[in-house]
Amino acid sequence: MLIDEISKPVKRIDVEDKIKGKTEYLADMHFEDALYAKTLRSTKARAEILSIDIPRLPEGYYIVDKNDVPARNGVKIINYEMPFFAEDTVNYIGEPLLLLVGPDKETVEELITEIKVNYKELKGVFSIDESEALTEVIYGKDNCFIEYNYGKGDLDKTEKEAAYVFEKEYTTGYQEHIYLETQGMVGTYENGRVKVIGSMQCPYYVKDAVVDALGFDYDDVQIVQSNTGGGFGGKEEYPSLIGGQVAIAALKIKKPVKLIFDRDEDIQCTTKRHPSQIILKTFLDKNHKIIGVDADVKLDGGAYMGISNIVLQRSIFAAIGVYDVENIKVRGRAFATNNIVTGAYRGFGAPQSFFATEMHMEYMAKELGINSLDFKKKNLLKKGDLSSTGGVFREDIVLPKIIETIEEMSSYSEKYEQYKKSDKYKGVGMSLFFHGGGFTGNGERDIIKAKVKLKKYKDDKVEILISNVEMGQGVTTGLRKIVAHALEIPLEDIIYANPDTDRVPNSGPTVASRTTMIIGKLLQNAAIKMKEEWKSGEEIEILEKYKHPEGFNWDAEALVGDAYNTYSWGANVVEVEVNPITYEVDIKGVWAVFDIGKAIDAKIIEGQIEGGVAQGLGYAGMEVMNSKEGRLIQRTNTDYVIPTAKDLPKIHNKLVNTPYDYGPFGAKSAGELTLIGAASAYAIAVQNAIGKTVSQISVTPELIMEVIKNDKN
Amino acid sequence: MTKIKFNLNNKEVSIESNPLRRLLDVLREDFKLIAPKEGCGQGECGACSVIIDGNLINSCCVPLGNVNAAKVITIEGLVDTKEFNILKEAYEDAGAVQCGFCTPGMIMASYALLTKNSRPNEDEIREGISGNLCRCTGYDKIIEAIKLASKRGDTVW
Amino acid sequence: MVISKEENSNIILYLPESLKEALEVISREETIILSGGTDLMVRRKRPSGLIPRFDKNTIFVANLAELKKIYTLRDYLHIGAACTFSEISNYELIPDYFKIVIKDIASPAIRNVATIGGNICNASPAADILPLLYALEAELVVGSLKGDRIIFIEDFIVAPGRNVLGSDEILKEIRIPIVNFNEYYYKKVGTRKATAISKLSFIGFINVEEDVIKDVRIAFGAVAPTIVKSKKMENELIGKNINNLDEISEELIEDYSDLINPIDDQRSNKNYRKQVAVNLLKDFLKLK
Repeated sequence: MLIDEISKPVKRIDVEDKIKGKTEYLADMHFEDALYAKTLRSTKARAEILSIDIPRLPEGYYIVDKNDVPARNGVKIINYEMPFFAEDTVNYIGEPLLLLVGPDKETVEELITEIKVNYKELKGVFSIDESEALTEVIYGKDNCFIEYNYGKGDLDKTEKEAAYVFEKEYTTGYQEHIYLETQGMVGTYENGRVKVIGSMQCPYYVKDAVVDALGFDYDDVQIVQSNTGGGFGGKEEYPSLIGGQVAIAALKIKKPVKLIFDRDEDIQCTTKRHPSQIILKTFLDKNHKIIGVDADVKLDGGAYMGISNIVLQRSIFAAIGVYDVENIKVRGRAFATNNIVTGAYRGFGAPQSFFATEMHMEYMAKELGINSLDFKKKNLLKKGDLSSTGGVFREDIVLPKIIETIEEMSSYSEKYEQYKKSDKYKGVGMSLFFHGGGFTGNGERDIIKAKVKLKKYKDDKVEILISNVEMGQGVTTGLRKIVAHALEIPLEDIIYANPDTDRVPNSGPTVASRTTMIIGKLLQNAAIKMKEEWKSGEEIEILEKYKHPEGFNWDAEALVGDAYNTYSWGANVVEVEVNPITYEVDIKGVWAVFDIGKAIDAKIIEGQIEGGVAQGLGYAGMEVMNSKEGRLIQRTNTDYVIPTAKDLPKIHNKLVNTPYDYGPFGAKSAGELTLIGAASAYAIAVQNAIGKTVSQISVTPELIMEVIKNDKN
Repeated sequence: MTKIKFNLNNKEVSIESNPLRRLLDVLREDFKLIAPKEGCGQGECGACSVIIDGNLINSCCVPLGNVNAAKVITIEGLVDTKEFNILKEAYEDAGAVQCGFCTPGMIMASYALLTKNSRPNEDEIREGISGNLCRCTGYDKIIEAIKLASKRGDTVW
Repeated sequence: MVISKEENSNIILYLPESLKEALEVISREETIILSGGTDLMVRRKRPSGLIPRFDKNTIFVANLAELKKIYTLRDYLHIGAACTFSEISNYELIPDYFKIVIKDIASPAIRNVATIGGNICNASPAADILPLLYALEAELVVGSLKGDRIIFIEDFIVAPGRNVLGSDEILKEIRIPIVNFNEYYYKKVGTRKATAISKLSFIGFINVEEDVIKDVRIAFGAVAPTIVKSKKMENELIGKNINNLDEISEELIEDYSDLINPIDDQRSNKNYRKQVAVNLLKDFLKLK
């Protein structure tokens, strides 16, 4: 099939085999003579390891631990502070101490229970508050992994001039990805080379981590992505840890080593979304124009920094919301705690900030006795305005049109007025938000430096060679469409295999909603070049390197300038009815309108919207994950609940697009935008329904009851 | 160890094994059927769904001993049927598959639903797949696919 | 009967072909009685691919025909212990309120396998079928080689996870006296709308004639170690005018509150459970 209209949906390339049950995920694949690996984990949140008593192991069974790491016992995730296997201390419950590896799973499971670890417990820190208060110093001098400060204008002057000041704190909790396919890796060693196959989003992240761990030549490590059953950020950096562990094990034992988690272990040990505490202090003039914001953003980074610094960056840049504010002061800190390590999750710090900003707008409107939508509209960003970091919004910001569209679809204003007068707990809420596409600032230019290859074979088939992966989001189809369109050849003639670092250049990770926008554009450029040189029956190879668009400026030290080159915009409306007897929330309606530049496939985008909004609603209302003294309280699939088909209504959605000049066909980021706004829309709808203020997620029936009964503000 | 005989995908099979083994493990390891998957091992996610004697069942909860003389169907046993192909095309056209891990289970649930209720309304569809978790799609397109399969399979279901 | 001995262990597995064979086994030895498996196969599960840990001899009863009968006879509904929830729901003479309670249990796939006997004997404080059975004052027919005996449901479960079955006994059948009620009220509050463990549940039946309460049953689930039901309080309501309960309502709510003792756990907290339980009671009796 030839691609003419890019948005027109096509049958996704990978779905036939998925439907037939033929697609092999890691646990379905057969690995000859593979040994089974099980992780021994810390049962203490913070302790010194005095000794580990290992029983005598039968022939063919091995321990793999810190002593077996040839070069560097540190996982390359921004820094190297997190070890593959704990050294002398442990910093969270679940921290890996060692692998026990052997041919019989039953025996491995039995042997591992015989290992005795002798700990000397140390005092730990289990919340942002405790960490900040330095009840115990567990990291550096101030328990801060990282602190950022940025601002613009003159906030001090603003404070004196303001007619109104509103200050409030907002908190959000953990979220666990629950990708249906759990994490897993298989490592092999053959002829001096180590190969790791697994479920992952970033093959080259894993490669770098393995190379550094083993001290191997770069070319002696091969990473291959297996069919990945969902990622959502959970398989962004975590795979570097387990990929390294199986590589180390395979190298030691000289046999294939398989490490695949069961669900409980995955829930209990892998990274989670950062809990946050955000204080917003907002200054208004007498006309209700926001003239200043003082934001204090705190994240719980868990036991190791991981990528908390990048999450924090995205969070602090989003802390002003979709509003034009001249005077800003933002402080952001990611705190070390002895809780589960937090990491990448769809939205990456933005859902937390947009929860705070949108709830705050509602709060201020309520205090002022004005309509919140009018209040928001008065303060919306427009083309030409400066961003929170002083960058320029160069493109049309179609929020007014998005708002108009969603109003029409949902009858928001009508319902808002109607429900205010109703004696039932009915409510409707709207949230407005953006997503800055791709890596922050100069990340693409200076750190990633993406390279893509297009290879034409003699039989006129063309292969896409990139390190970005299909994990359900649809790029295996979308990127093929872009190339097929430019080359004017059938979609079926495009090859795009799961990335193998032996064969593909480093086009960067599958994160930050960058794949379609950045890699799609590079592939489009490459395809256009290939078309010009096209000769049937001949081989052509095109290498295309990322070129940063002109005119964007970013100071990574001062955090000033264009944090992002382009933005996607969105609005969500959620309608709820709260049961006055049980305080349960019935979601009556959900609407989502987005500007994502251009849909490379309308159905794929709809799927992303529906899935992202669903995840956001789960985060808002039912995905409770608490931690006490470092131990997760919800530890299984039974206790950590995600929405079923009965918990959600139909998710109505529409696109109101403005194209981005540097995206393929004008496409911008979509994947994460879809999750960012759902939680605040839900919380606003609930607080409107019950007439009481809510300032934390998860908005559970328990919380609703408490709020109604305590009249807590 | 004992011999358990049952009908698997329209073939009479026999296996000598421990009757406490999970049916999921028997299907995957002994019969090399990879469509039923382990998503949680607790009967919560439905990725392991199979059909036994016409009923949708989570194979991670069923001991082999309970399957004696039963008729067990996995996706692999359905692929050549008219019903499956209607479902397959409906799922493809609706865009109901993203990462695909929940898909075999969802198809089993769809099949079980439509063979019992050929014209389900939206509530009945949501009920029919309420034991199958999906993290990618938000369920809308899966529901659309089932509606489509119901309509297209007018004389078949 | 098939007997399976496992290598590397002393565990014997029994697959009886009749109830008599089953009773013979359990009269001789202490066994784990395995029915549908939706509870035991999960509770005893081990890592993927490994056999669940059954640390005692185990007997498979899910397919015993004698335990799968369901029929109505002379004002009693008889349900075999190995009947699955789907089978019960599909029985042509099953009362609507049974269907409504069953529909909120887990998911379709679980209901196709989980048995009423398993749910009862497992005796979880959150067991989904128990409030209904307590409210209907169900009788359990318990059998052994020595014969059958009847145990009232409220005497069968003594603590979370503990029932009074002797090691030589098996639950055979549940007998429910069919009584006419003109109204029933059921609410299960779970962590989500399907495939959820109960945070708390409430069931109420009432028979009102000319505004006078002739019969009333009230039971709460998951808010105490066992199901909360009080014949004493129900009797206090009998004979009262349904529109005029104000004088006794305060005391009634206080008395029930004393019996409702939920806990904080990973799914909810005690304040919520208690308050909502009381809310449901008030809504059922239309109290202010």
